[in-house]
Amino acid sequence: MTQPAMDVSAGAPTRSYPLYLRDIAGVAAILVAGAAGYWLFPDNLALLTRIIAVALLVLSLDLITGYCGVASLGQATLFGAGAYAVGFACVHGGVTEPLTLMLIGAVAGATAGLAMGAIMLRAHGLAQLVLSIAIVQLGHEAANKFTGYTGGSDGLAGLSVNPLFGVFEFDLWGRTAYLFGLALLVVVFALLRVVVSSPFGVLCRGVRQDPVRVKAMGAFVFPVILKMFVISGAVAGLGGALAAISTQVVGLDSISFELSANALVMLVLGGLGTLYGALVGTVIFMAFEHVVSAINPFHWLTMVGALLVAVVLVAPGGLVNLAGKVGGIGRSKGSKP
Amino acid sequence: MPGCGCEAASPTALHGLAVFMQTTLSIATDAFAYGMVLFIISIGLSLTMGLMRVVNLAHGAFAMIGGYIASYITRDLGWGYVPAILLGVAGTIIIAAPFERLLFRRIYGKPELLQVLMTIGITFCVIGVTNYFFGPTLKTIPLPDILTRPVDIGFRTIAAHRLFVMACGVGVAAALWFLIEKTGFGIKLRAAVDNAAMTDALGVRTPVVYAIAFAVAVGLAAFGGIIGAEFLPVEPYYALRYMVLFLVVVSVGGAGSILGTLVACLALGAVDTVGRYLMPDFGNFFFYAAVIAIVFAFPRGFFGRAQ
Amino acid sequence: MNFRNLLGAAFGALLLGGVCSAAADTVKVGIIGPFSGPFALQGKNFQAGVQAYMGLNGKSVAGHDVEVVYRDLPAANPAQARALAQELVVKDKVQYLGGVYFTPDAMAIAPLLVQANTPLVIFNAATSAILTKSPLAVRTSFTTAQTTTPLGQVVADNGVKKVISAVSDYGPGIDAEGAFKKAFSAAGGEIVDSIRMPMNTNDFSPIMQRVKDSGAEAVFAFLPSGPTTLGFVKSFNETGLKKSGIKLFAPGDLTQESDLPALGEAADGTLTTFHYAVSHDSPENKAFVEAAGKALGNPAELSFPAVGAFDGMHVIYKMIEATDGKQDAQKAVDAVKGLSWTSPRGPVSIDADTRHITENIYLRQVAKDADGKFINKEIKTFENQKDPGLAAK
Repeated sequence: MTQPAMDVSAGAPTRSYPLYLRDIAGVAAILVAGAAGYWLFPDNLALLTRIIAVALLVLSLDLITGYCGVASLGQATLFGAGAYAVGFACVHGGVTEPLTLMLIGAVAGATAGLAMGAIMLRAHGLAQLVLSIAIVQLGHEAANKFTGYTGGSDGLAGLSVNPLFGVFEFDLWGRTAYLFGLALLVVVFALLRVVVSSPFGVLCRGVRQDPVRVKAMGAFVFPVILKMFVISGAVAGLGGALAAISTQVVGLDSISFELSANALVMLVLGGLGTLYGALVGTVIFMAFEHVVSAINPFHWLTMVGALLVAVVLVAPGGLVNLAGKVGGIGRSKGSKP
Repeated sequence: MPGCGCEAASPTALHGLAVFMQTTLSIATDAFAYGMVLFIISIGLSLTMGLMRVVNLAHGAFAMIGGYIASYITRDLGWGYVPAILLGVAGTIIIAAPFERLLFRRIYGKPELLQVLMTIGITFCVIGVTNYFFGPTLKTIPLPDILTRPVDIGFRTIAAHRLFVMACGVGVAAALWFLIEKTGFGIKLRAAVDNAAMTDALGVRTPVVYAIAFAVAVGLAAFGGIIGAEFLPVEPYYALRYMVLFLVVVSVGGAGSILGTLVACLALGAVDTVGRYLMPDFGNFFFYAAVIAIVFAFPRGFFGRAQ
Repeated sequence: MNFRNLLGAAFGALLLGGVCSAAADTVKVGIIGPFSGPFALQGKNFQAGVQAYMGLNGKSVAGHDVEVVYRDLPAANPAQARALAQELVVKDKVQYLGGVYFTPDAMAIAPLLVQANTPLVIFNAATSAILTKSPLAVRTSFTTAQTTTPLGQVVADNGVKKVISAVSDYGPGIDAEGAFKKAFSAAGGEIVDSIRMPMNTNDFSPIMQRVKDSGAEAVFAFLPSGPTTLGFVKSFNETGLKKSGIKLFAPGDLTQESDLPALGEAADGTLTTFHYAVSHDSPENKAFVEAAGKALGNPAELSFPAVGAFDGMHVIYKMIEATDGKQDAQKAVDAVKGLSWTSPRGPVSIDADTRHITENIYLRQVAKDADGKFINKEIKTFENQKDPGLAAK
């Protein structure tokens, strides 16, 4: 996962031919890293699949936080919306075709994103952050209350999903789930790179840097950001759907403040506003957590805390930025939330 | 009895009214007490976030440290409640000092999300270390006899420590208001907040001002953690368990405003208490729906400073 | 006591020697539990139970060394549970899975078992339905319905006619409410009001006000062990409900032993029903409490999940014995169906149909022991209780 760091300049507003090449290189790097994960850790595929699902969530958060400047501690609302929609459709609706379920997850996430964006964009700064917390708590409470649909705190169990394309089963070893997730991640990532370097993406960054100026230029801020919220919701919803399909259980943790806060931590850890930072942050954080919690299941939290503090001290711009600096391709200006 | 005659009905109606009034007053008292507990624990966070512009998610961790020290002093050393409070506050400030010097000083004025990352990291460390040394069980801080007695306040009895907490809340609010608005230190602090470079140039040693303000905030956290332990019991996960609650209360009130935080605590305390009385099944819905409603009505918090 | 220990140690050494001379193969057991985070205490108790069992019965069985691998799952998280279970089975090659504190995690692991050819011995997760999700799941803890049901009769026997129920608003709370309602109505009582309290309630005084208004003679309460029980019990006292003669009944989660020092006087006299009390008077329990207390470091932290883990290890040892260390999940599970033994909690057996543990449920009262320490004192026994939740299906 070192190649993504090469792409630190992709956030620049101007586009040119070499940038496309870099994006292609980036996607190739994800594929290589993903394939390497498959061959190197064939016994950890369920973990790797979980990382991909969370990576989708963190990517979705980068869209609104890194590109639009809207910090959220409630992003899991969108993830949970996708997961529960898939769970409901599968357990109560009898839909068992995996691709259809993914579509359901994306649509549910996008719808939730629309609603969440509409509410959150009423406020700014800290108040906005608190709105996001309130929304995810309400979502969590709703999932806990409507046990008939969601299974409440016992979780919505018993998702039996058909084999992918009628051939590949979602089994114990999780090969299908992982490769499916990896393909999904690559496609989503490529699409998002296109989105963020499109005029729309550039406008979003403009809003983040100076909303007043963007308004003065004659653009409407609210619909632009709201549109990004919908895209973000779809991506998070896909993550939730992947988690639901590969786990076959949807629990309250998928729509919790804890997951939201973790997603934000991973994003800031990796670096905002590059999409690569989201991936790097997720992989590093979850892999580190996995390793230290296996070494000492009782007191690993201290190590994770120390990692976060160390990153702030050593690489305040996120790991991607640090790697960029080390590689001598430092950005002129660190990304600011 | 809907069919009763007027003469027969009036005594029952009167009685009903009396019961209703009593219940209302009783709930109001509970709401006030809970609001004051929230206030006493969150006001320190309001200071750090509003005046020092640091999103200090480790606030709960400092409150917890205060609680642990006080618990150790009362239970293991067998000392009284008052020394426990004083030493708990002092001890927490001493423990927090190196954090300020080595870590917090590097994130003053940095982007908020970076502050979030660092303070969450510190919180994780504190939880891990506490769990390692003190174990995962609940710790209590035994109250002196005078605070455990029920006190008759006319329409009901109330635990004396609730009255104590209310008094502390009012006292803290008044003292802070005086410190920030009426003393030389307060002037320097407000100046440093508005324009650190200019204040520096005028000969005020801003790092010292920040350090003192930080110590006050941490001391308040510890104080709240100790006297609020009857409501929010001390255990290692305290630091994360109530983080959201503190953050929400401070933001709704408008970070940096004493009056705003007070109003927010009383309002949210009331919503919480009344909601849990009328429809406990939907208690959390009430609370967070109220948060959304308040943010819509007051996007900067009740008395937030313009940012 | 000393002699017995010595004998045990000598026997263990003999056994170990036997192993070394035969074939030193190792059977791995993967334990998933909340070893950090808000439920770290319960995870620590899992570990203590496992270590106590292995300390008392040796680290090998029938010539096979037993190695335990712990994996941390701090809060209910099915996706992580599945990933951990998969890794334990595929990578660490464990033959047995054990532990699991939360229901959704067990639900996520259950579908893997047949494919993995691995039995799952649940040390805690207490929702009835889990065992129906896989034929290879066995449970050595309790279900909420199982520990709650006898309370209905107890409350009626105490001369109480009208009860208000107040439970935490989540799966087990709702299970408890249902089980109690059924049992208490059957005993001729009336539930005047049911309150479901949000999980993150910090101030219980509004709930107590409702209790007061309801005119009930007693409260039935269910809260998960931990910080909230303290707030609830204190509030019950401070608002004067206890003094006014209203009684408090609850399943034993409310007064787990590790919370009792904190609850103190406030909980004094509370009647609870549960499957295990640390104070249970039997030689098996004495040995267990001593060993588990040593494993914990601080004996005051000992609580009910440890006994679930202790008996869980017993079941796993029996499975290893029956399969002679070979991986054959179905044979292993079949071998323990109907198995009965004397646990630290009293006589228990594994129900052959449901694979759930049949055990005594005790009525206990919070009281001071000879040293002035608060304990759950057993005052009545309801023998051989099965899980009513599963029996009904």
